[in-house]
Amino acid sequence: MSGYLITIATIIVINAIVVCGLNVIVGYAGQISLGHAAFFGIGAYSAALLATKAGLSFWAALPLVVTISSVVGLLLGLPSLRVKDDFLAITTIGINFIVEAVFLYIPFFGGALGIGGIPRICLFGLRLKGFSFFLLCLAFLVLVMTACWWFTRCWAGLACFALREDEEAAASVGISPVRFKLLAFVAGTAMAGLGGALYAHYMRFISASDFSFPVSITLLSMLVLGGMGKLWAPLLGAVILGALPEIFRPLVEYRILFYTAILLLMIRFQPSGLLGDESLARKVLAKVVPGGGR
Amino acid sequence: MSEPILRVENLHKHFGGLKAVNGVSFQVAPGEILGILGPNGAGKTVCFNMISGVYKPTAGKIVFDGQRTDGLPPHRLAALGLGRTFQIVKPFASLTVLENVLVARGIANYGRFGRIWGPWRSKDQVRAAMEVLDKVGLADLAGRKAGLLPLGNLRRLEIARALVVGRKLILLDESFSGLRHAEITRLEDLIRAIRQMGITVLLIEHNLRVSMKLCDRIVVLEHGRKIAEGKPEQIQSDLRVIEAYLGRKRRNNAAGG
Ligand SMILES: Nc1ncnc2c1ncn2[C@@H]1O[C@H](COP(=O)(O)OP(=O)(O)OP(=O)(O)O)[C@@H](O)[C@H]1O
Ligand SMILES: [Mg+2]
Repeated sequence: MSGYLITIATIIVINAIVVCGLNVIVGYAGQISLGHAAFFGIGAYSAALLATKAGLSFWAALPLVVTISSVVGLLLGLPSLRVKDDFLAITTIGINFIVEAVFLYIPFFGGALGIGGIPRICLFGLRLKGFSFFLLCLAFLVLVMTACWWFTRCWAGLACFALREDEEAAASVGISPVRFKLLAFVAGTAMAGLGGALYAHYMRFISASDFSFPVSITLLSMLVLGGMGKLWAPLLGAVILGALPEIFRPLVEYRILFYTAILLLMIRFQPSGLLGDESLARKVLAKVVPGGGR
Repeated sequence: MSEPILRVENLHKHFGGLKAVNGVSFQVAPGEILGILGPNGAGKTVCFNMISGVYKPTAGKIVFDGQRTDGLPPHRLAALGLGRTFQIVKPFASLTVLENVLVARGIANYGRFGRIWGPWRSKDQVRAAMEVLDKVGLADLAGRKAGLLPLGNLRRLEIARALVVGRKLILLDESFSGLRHAEITRLEDLIRAIRQMGITVLLIEHNLRVSMKLCDRIVVLEHGRKIAEGKPEQIQSDLRVIEAYLGRKRRNNAAGG
């Protein structure tokens, strides 16, 4: 594989990890989040700071990074989970802007210059770069997707599905809305934090704009395109939206416009996404490959 | 009367200036079927919502199974063994009928952090859920998406969920409305069977014939106040009730065609 392809593939896998987290919050628990990039950023910045200022290795810092992301997710999630629907959408946008502003204006976080000099990840004495780093990311993606798969099969996940469908009915069968929404929020932001840590060690230089509101829109577009609540949706969405701009080079300038258009078109015409139960893609697939619609 | 399973005392719920429930008291004995009657807007559903924890009473006291429960949230009341249906049905639409019941079966696990990580689609769980579906006559539709069911079946699905949760008390909010004659007879039998299991039933019902036949006692509400209480025969002969309820209904029917 050429270096160029590996770069694209690595970014796709990191995005897929982050979108898995978004899927837990939006797809499983039905809580709209338009600020997921904030938690991606919190993971990246805590990994970068722990590596450059505290001198911790990626592995030593990782549990801390994931904890920080999910604790901040919990704190920011607490007030936002008391509001619903469009208020929640606005609140999460607000969180994104506040977090970005903190990165940008507080000198401790590197200010406008961002944070550079983030070391590579070492594993068994090997400094991971290129293909080996890609493999590490892939391993984490497998881990995250396994966790998501398990989540859909345990009571906690079922409780989240019920909340997504009807909060009052869920509460009437013993599901605490606040507890399970927070659980989804914490799990989702932890995954975003993990993705952020990988991103920081891959780019080796990060700045606030990497985690701005348009990034949240991109992440959400990936999820909606793939199909909210579907296990493979984050990967599918990340692959398509990660590869398309590379294939159609001139599109790069209009990336955000393009993502937003996809988001709106999907919500209008295929709200369940490519992997949705009654989606066009599935019907076409069912015609082409016998049994492919499954 | 033995120790009541449910006691409400001087219950009030005000929405701004509107006194939706205005000083209602009654008791329900274990194993009893108590009907709540009253014209539209009398405050019946608001009463249910206070008993099941959806609304916090403006004033008054609710004692369920020997414990003050006014102000507790709905999921806590569910954990205490109170199941309910909704007048406007609330299925988990994108889940199957079976999954809807399995969600309710999770009641044993949702309260303990260590238990929520266990699998929900186990053989035992599915078998137990199928038994409940069989009771309400939905076993054939177990694999169907709940959102695709007609109203009659959705009402039965609500009852199935309430049955799983309501170990002690079940609140049925107009579960008979929109059902066909044969379905009504089935549901009556089911409710009697529920009582046989030792579960107390509180039901709101507009259909007088049904409630007179089914209930041990009836409480009549109007404008948020209790205007009568007693055995079905007593209620039927109570003039005030006939004025408040039957008279209004006849007028409504005439107006509605
Ligand atoms: N959340 C609310 N906010 C404001 N007013 C409410 C609310 N819920 C109910 N009400 C009002 O309280 C009064 C009693 O309503 P309730 O739903 O209890 O009537 P009901 O006896 O169940 O009638 P129906 O037979 O039509 O179901 C009505 O006037 C209703 O408009
Ligand atoms: Mg009502």
